[in-house]
Amino acid sequence: MNCLEFRRAAGADPEHLSPDAVAHRDGCPQCAQFLQTVRLMDATILKALQIPAGDRVAWTPAAPPRVGAAVQASLGNRNRWYALAASIAGGVAIGALLWVSGSRDALARDAVAHLAHEPKAMVATQVPADAAQVTAVLAKDGIRLRSDPGLVTYVMSCPFRGHQVPHLVVQTSEGPVTVLVLREEKVSRARKFHEQGYAGTIEPSGPGSIAVIGGTDEQVKEAAARIDSALEWK
Amino acid sequence: MNAPLAGKDGETAFTRLCEELRPDLFRFAFWLARDRQVAEDVVQEALLRAWRSRESLGETGSAKQWLLTIVRREHARLYERKRFETVPVDDLVSGESPELAAAEEREVLDMRRAIFALDTDYREPLVMQVLLGFSTDEIARELGLTQGAVLTRLFRARQRLRRDLGVTGAAEDDAS
Repeated sequence: MNCLEFRRAAGADPEHLSPDAVAHRDGCPQCAQFLQTVRLMDATILKALQIPAGDRVAWTPAAPPRVGAAVQASLGNRNRWYALAASIAGGVAIGALLWVSGSRDALARDAVAHLAHEPKAMVATQVPADAAQVTAVLAKDGIRLRSDPGLVTYVMSCPFRGHQVPHLVVQTSEGPVTVLVLREEKVSRARKFHEQGYAGTIEPSGPGSIAVIGGTDEQVKEAAARIDSALEWK
Repeated sequence: MNAPLAGKDGETAFTRLCEELRPDLFRFAFWLARDRQVAEDVVQEALLRAWRSRESLGETGSAKQWLLTIVRREHARLYERKRFETVPVDDLVSGESPELAAAEEREVLDMRRAIFALDTDYREPLVMQVLLGFSTDEIARELGLTQGAVLTRLFRARQRLRRDLGVTGAAEDDAS
């Protein structure tokens, strides 16, 4: 691979370089610098794309999605509109109540539910993730590694509760743990949870928290301590 | 671990799924339509359609791509119905000033404006890749393109942004 080919590849998909591209980057400081520039620009692109998404009130089958203005214009029946408004009000009230009373448990549930979207998330393997990708995903969130968090075998920037968050899988002697780095989720103290057969903990870390999910309390406690000490937040 | 979407448990799973994915679905719709109100309508309609046909999904594992496809189709349907007039990009940019002014950093604001002005052919795969984390293969399948075509569009999207933002020393631009 030459510099031109590398820059085309890196300019199209900077987080997924082929082995040839990685080899070229490692031997070409200019292209390594170019890649760094592209990744920095991508971090800005991501911030730019993350426009405010409005309220976070959930809808339920009992209170289906609010029909928007464009569709409302076609609804000539006033009674239908009132019924719709009533269902929205009910949904908002129920959603707000659930949100207030169960936000902390909801965080644990959401963290476990997130595993469902990442089929590679709990695979036991000894194949490390691309170190540059680990660095880049954490850097997007203003984090760098100051010590070894363990063998990272999976890394992705994932949508979670309205934000892109680093999602790592770290191998331990007892198998893999999934780690979500949650800058926007503040907790005052560590809290263990058990959801759907998983053990987990959500612990304060930096300005936010980390959620660590694995097989046993001991495993996640040990992994969480190691990972927390490895993260340097900016 | 994929939660089934049938039955009572499925309703709960589907609701959670919507809570989690809705912000990004909205953002995707916004960057397709470049209009907050239209994006809200598109997502509301898409979620309603998704709810009605949730059992066809079967499990939550592939839900993100499934919902994204519904949002894209709903956006296309809305445009077919409404037949919006063509609006110059500069008018769009000024019309969306609340969104474009929301960024706290100048750099982010400039980038937002530059993305806003990108052609849809470049903007859409870029949003899918950077915001939603889709692979180029997944984007190709969603857009009905070859992976090579997607890579070219992504390269040109970033190239266009660099030019619009006046990034100097971009020797890679010669690669196009």
